[in-house]
Amino acid sequence: MIAMLNRRQLLLAALSTVFVAGHAMGDSTDAAQALVEKLSRDLIGVVNGPGSAGEKQAALEKLIDRDVDIQAVARFCLGRFWRTANPDQLKAYGDLFRAVLVRNITSKVGEYQGVTMAVGKAQAREDDVLVGSVVTRPNNAPSRVDWVVSAAGGAPRIIDVVAEGTSLRLTQRSDYSAFLSRNNNDVQALIDAMRKQATQPG
Amino acid sequence: MRLSVRQILPLFVACALSLTGCATPPPADDPDAVAEYKEANDPLEPTNRVFYAINDALDTVILHPIALGYRAALPTPVRTGVHNVLNNLGTPVTLTNDLLQGNRRRAGDTMSRFLLNTTLGVGGLMDVAAERGIPDHPADFGMTLAVWGLNDGVFLFLPILGPTNPRDAVGFGVDSFVLDPWSWVGQGNTVRDLRVARAAVGAIDARVMVLDDFDRVKAQALDPYATIRSLARQYRTKQISDARGDVTPQAVKKSP
Repeated sequence: MIAMLNRRQLLLAALSTVFVAGHAMGDSTDAAQALVEKLSRDLIGVVNGPGSAGEKQAALEKLIDRDVDIQAVARFCLGRFWRTANPDQLKAYGDLFRAVLVRNITSKVGEYQGVTMAVGKAQAREDDVLVGSVVTRPNNAPSRVDWVVSAAGGAPRIIDVVAEGTSLRLTQRSDYSAFLSRNNNDVQALIDAMRKQATQPG
Repeated sequence: MRLSVRQILPLFVACALSLTGCATPPPADDPDAVAEYKEANDPLEPTNRVFYAINDALDTVILHPIALGYRAALPTPVRTGVHNVLNNLGTPVTLTNDLLQGNRRRAGDTMSRFLLNTTLGVGGLMDVAAERGIPDHPADFGMTLAVWGLNDGVFLFLPILGPTNPRDAVGFGVDSFVLDPWSWVGQGNTVRDLRVARAAVGAIDARVMVLDDFDRVKAQALDPYATIRSLARQYRTKQISDARGDVTPQAVKKSP
């Protein structure tokens, strides 16, 4: 097939590949930026909007499910133990991971009253897109928060949040991996500890 | 500060020597475990965890309640004022390190901040410079050493200093006793009392700044020590890359 193409056709083919690739890349940064901008508006709307704490928590939970690739984050945080856990454990872990994440994010919703967020430029990286933002809480210095968006699972979704240089998923993975190494690398022990976290009051 | 470090240092050394704790490296035929061990970069983990536990216990009974009381007793503008004055007093250390790092723009910022905040900001009480678009930035000798190319070495958890490493611990000493003129200018009881007061208020101010974050880590982490180790290292890496003048957003480590 290739032998039949002349040089001009080859060049054309090569160029169009470059353009298509470039175009796709532009699309993914645009999509990532749009995602974070919309999420930012919705988040601020919920946090600063009317409604009881319970209503706000329910609304936040919906936003998390909509825009965060929870299973991808869960998988990252389990690291090498993803391969050694059995299917039942993975299912239990995935469900608990979601429950604990939602709980950790939504439980302090009241403290964020008055927050503002300015979304910056998106920047394509090797496998994902980084969208910068500056989050300002009343009486606090503005903090830099970067959102990592990946389309690996189909539609673009958030796979990490980096606040002042600290990555949520990297930190969470350190926590789990330290816990596991002090508990004979037993994934069941991790699941039991997470179940306690997910059900404890407060 | 000088007194307390002097008193505690021998105790610390004695404790460190009595604990023969070194983490056992995983067997070489388990590459995942080896990678994990290297990533933690914490060969002194057993000793570090002892100091973490001591620090945490002291914090729970002393500093944490004081910080809570301080926050409850004083309104936000007063606490912000105290924080700003302490920051302003830190100008010589910040400026020297900006210059040692060869960062002229930052040194200029530090000078402008000092002049504006000392005059218009009434002796540093108000951070008028930040309102005019010259925000505060961190600069210490540990960062300077990093900019000069020195690696952090292994993870350390020390009394008072908390999560650190040999480079930053040395940097802290240089900042406190060499670069900070308040530690060697003047003498007599009044000067000594002012020094102690500044160190005490500084400790409370620093503790209040992380009150909620730290409470949250302790409540939400399965292993708070490991979580703090990870957070401290990532945060420090970002401070240093900012000081190097990186303008691009902080890159996150790729998953292995």
